[in-house]
Amino acid sequence: MPLLALSLAGCNSWLGVSRRPAPPSGFGMEGREDPALSGDGRLLASLVERNGRSSVLLQERLSGKVLPLRTLNGQQPHSSPSLSWNGRYLALIVQRGERRLAMIEDRATGRPHPLLLPGGQEPQRLSLAPDGRRLAVQLTRDGVRRVELFDLGGQLEADLAPGLPIQPR
Amino acid sequence: MKPGPFLIAVLLPLSLLGCSPVSLRPLEPINRALEQAGVGREPSLSGEWLAMISGRQGREQVVLVDLRQNRPVPLPGLNRPDAKPISVSVDRSGERLALVRQRDGRTELALYRRSIQGLQSLPLEPAGVPNQVSLSGDGRLLAVQVSRGGLWQVDLLDLP
Repeated sequence: MPLLALSLAGCNSWLGVSRRPAPPSGFGMEGREDPALSGDGRLLASLVERNGRSSVLLQERLSGKVLPLRTLNGQQPHSSPSLSWNGRYLALIVQRGERRLAMIEDRATGRPHPLLLPGGQEPQRLSLAPDGRRLAVQLTRDGVRRVELFDLGGQLEADLAPGLPIQPR
Repeated sequence: MKPGPFLIAVLLPLSLLGCSPVSLRPLEPINRALEQAGVGREPSLSGEWLAMISGRQGREQVVLVDLRQNRPVPLPGLNRPDAKPISVSVDRSGERLALVRQRDGRTELALYRRSIQGLQSLPLEPAGVPNQVSLSGDGRLLAVQVSRGGLWQVDLLDLP
């Protein structure tokens, strides 16, 4: 793994940053967008093009192993993936008919959880708190882009660090 | 919340698929504070921290909100009036922020550390144009979307 000597800004000298490409997706030379790491850094979600539509791909970061997602097919294009600490929860935006909908797949149970925004608003970007208890949503209200926070506590089991990696059943 | 036609159209088929809808409860007063801050986009949640890009009248900057206090914390040396932030991500402790910004016609990737109030440029090798960033919880691993030769790629950077 090559080490890159960084050019320095100011007097803050950092050496030893190492770079590598994301593991191959196994789907050819398509582009890869919108990366999201799990809190523990073990998993990487990103978007790839499949059949002309943006689809989320979940992989183990080190091995490149593609992990199954059970509930998201047929709801492309996907956008804005976000993972909890151990990767139990994957939040993202899916397409349902003419509308975009925020969704969480619980990889421990294989169940999807559609997230209902007040007033039927459409999400533009998401960020799931690593413990799965809060969600930040970018949306447009009165023609202005806003970020709003929502509570998921009590509705989803927490995905706390440190914890055991969740294996799909 | 009374379901409208859209929610009925969405929820009925979802319920048949064994979905468990979750009603999102807005968190106040943080949402009121965020609304007063003007435009908001590109949220990043980690630990007790929310990083985002916020601003008014076209002047945007990176903001870090301490969710225990529901107030932003100072980020000296991070924002510049001649820089336009593109994407931001925060680690669990609120110590490190990765960001992509445009300045002087260039798009650059950088890492900010609050404890030393220092912004470190992170050159891309091979060269490319960064876009979206995602930090791991400990701030030691950075995933970044990079355009090279018209193709979007994802780089992973181990940070000391």
